Amino acid sequence: MTLRGFLRGRTFRDLAVVTVLVFGVGSVAMLLAHVSPIDGFGALFDGAFGTPEEFAETLVQTTNLLFPALGIAVAFRAGLFNIGAEGQLILGGFAAGWLGAAVPLPAFVALPMVLAAGALAGGIWGAIPGFLRARFAANEVIATLMLNVIAFLLATYLVNGPLALAGAGPSETPTLPHAAQLPDLLTGSRLTWAFVIALALALFLRWLLFRTIFGYELRAAGDAPEAAKRAGIDLGRTALVAMSISGAIAGLGGATIVSGELHRFNTGLSPGYGFIAIAVALVGSLDPLWIVAAAFAFGVLQSGGIAMQAEAGVPRDVVSLVTGLVIIALAGRRVVAARRTT
Amino acid sequence: MNAALAAIAAVLALTLVKATPLIYAALGGVLSERSGVINIGLEGIMIAGAFTSVAVSGATGSPVAGALAGIAAGALLAAVLAFGATRLGVDQIVAGTGLNIAALAAAAFGIVLVYHQPGASREVPGFGRGGELTLIALAFATAVLLHIVLQRTPWGLHVRACGEDPSAAEAAGIDALRTRFIAVVTGGAIASLGGVYLSLAELDLYSDGMTAGRGFIALAAVIFGRWTPLGATGAALFFGFFSALQFALQRTGVPSELMQALPYAAAVVALAGFAGRVRAPAADGVPYVRH
Repeated sequence: MTLRGFLRGRTFRDLAVVTVLVFGVGSVAMLLAHVSPIDGFGALFDGAFGTPEEFAETLVQTTNLLFPALGIAVAFRAGLFNIGAEGQLILGGFAAGWLGAAVPLPAFVALPMVLAAGALAGGIWGAIPGFLRARFAANEVIATLMLNVIAFLLATYLVNGPLALAGAGPSETPTLPHAAQLPDLLTGSRLTWAFVIALALALFLRWLLFRTIFGYELRAAGDAPEAAKRAGIDLGRTALVAMSISGAIAGLGGATIVSGELHRFNTGLSPGYGFIAIAVALVGSLDPLWIVAAAFAFGVLQSGGIAMQAEAGVPRDVVSLVTGLVIIALAGRRVVAARRTT
Repeated sequence: MNAALAAIAAVLALTLVKATPLIYAALGGVLSERSGVINIGLEGIMIAGAFTSVAVSGATGSPVAGALAGIAAGALLAAVLAFGATRLGVDQIVAGTGLNIAALAAAAFGIVLVYHQPGASREVPGFGRGGELTLIALAFATAVLLHIVLQRTPWGLHVRACGEDPSAAEAAGIDALRTRFIAVVTGGAIASLGGVYLSLAELDLYSDGMTAGRGFIALAAVIFGRWTPLGATGAALFFGFFSALQFALQRTGVPSELMQALPYAAAVVALAGFAGRVRAPAADGVPYVRH
């Protein structure tokens, strides 16, 4: 792509909108809190980049946003509004944490099995609205929205009730055995191999969506469902498969948080990664490679926000406010064509 | 025997308290969706109503002024969604999701600015017992009124036409974009009363997360009530009853999480068509573009 083409393109316009929102709204909010924007943003960027440990935490937040955002992109590309990434992530985390702590697994399979359990649980939670959509034409937006809450309540019930394990605190599973933990990338930080897995997954999805027949059919179902149907693409099957993959990726993300960062499942493991990830996926133009960059930008805001509140006295809620406004601002792009024909 | 009767009476009274905010939010959702715009942002609109009414009631000492400001705030948020959905062609679902996140954060930020403490406001002048009963009665009156407006007035017919087939509505001389805009904004004003009820009738303060997903339960009530005002009110009462029952059964060992999950599960089941024929307005959530 030429530079001129890039500057005229949608991605550039989106980036400009996001930049203006972050610095414009951020500055106004800081002024309202009687903090100079220079101090406020200074504290934010210092908190995100200041020391190797802080930068590692930024990459941790990047990773935690990257998984659900990639999952969301797969569903959106197929014309399906998966806003259930949060619930898929939580159940993935629960499945990983419970399996790892409850079942004595041989050391060499413990880690893969724990991660696979997370992907499976998330995949099932994504498959439910996919199936309801394929079989009963049920609106997947409302279904995933409802399943988010059900997932949280279900995990809370299971971890405290029938599947409670000895030696665990309230709403938690016990610490995972060492073999089930993702190894650290940087000792002394929470950064683990989850980051590398997420990057590899982004590359794989880029290939899958844009270089394979499967990806072509999936995008066709999203972009031009009527034409896709006439060309012999089974829209119902595509919906089921896309939602399952989407949920599995978010579930895998939950499993990496449990296995890498926390070493246990906790019902409070996500501060809303599945929702922030909607902004990440949109800013990333639903393209896995751009999504990596967008996840990093939001990772900076997430990890720097903590320092901004502690050092400069600006409430962290400003970060969420900007995130919500970014989603509203980018809602204009034509994400889903399929809904318009059903 | 008397103890049992008292317990039943307590559950029924609590049902009304728990159902009222859901009724307001669900009625706002019904009006919006019947015109063809899905309002995922009901939760954010309730938050805006709850926070603004507390801030204004605290500043002026008048809960009525607070309530009016809360309604205005809810209508304003709905207007953002309505303008985007009718004039800019933005995606209603994505915009509504962003609205929820932004409203929650803006209220949390506002609490820190106004009250210099995170988490919750101080106590402000509320409606008291009489005002609470009035708001409860008003919820049911609004339901009946909305039913009459939708079924018996020309404007109601226009709204329903826009929700079923906006092109045909325009061909018949109805301004579909304007009708949708007014319906969504009015729906936002109604839904914000759910937030006002929570903050000025139930608690007399605002605390972060106090709407606790009621906007989403209201969306479930819209579906369960088959997109009608009276049906949605019935569904809100049903969900309110289970919420009240939860308090009554707290010490009996029935897992509260499973009871809390019921409205959401019921909505999924209803969506799949297991609870009889359920049909959304044909053009619900479908942007209308003039050609």
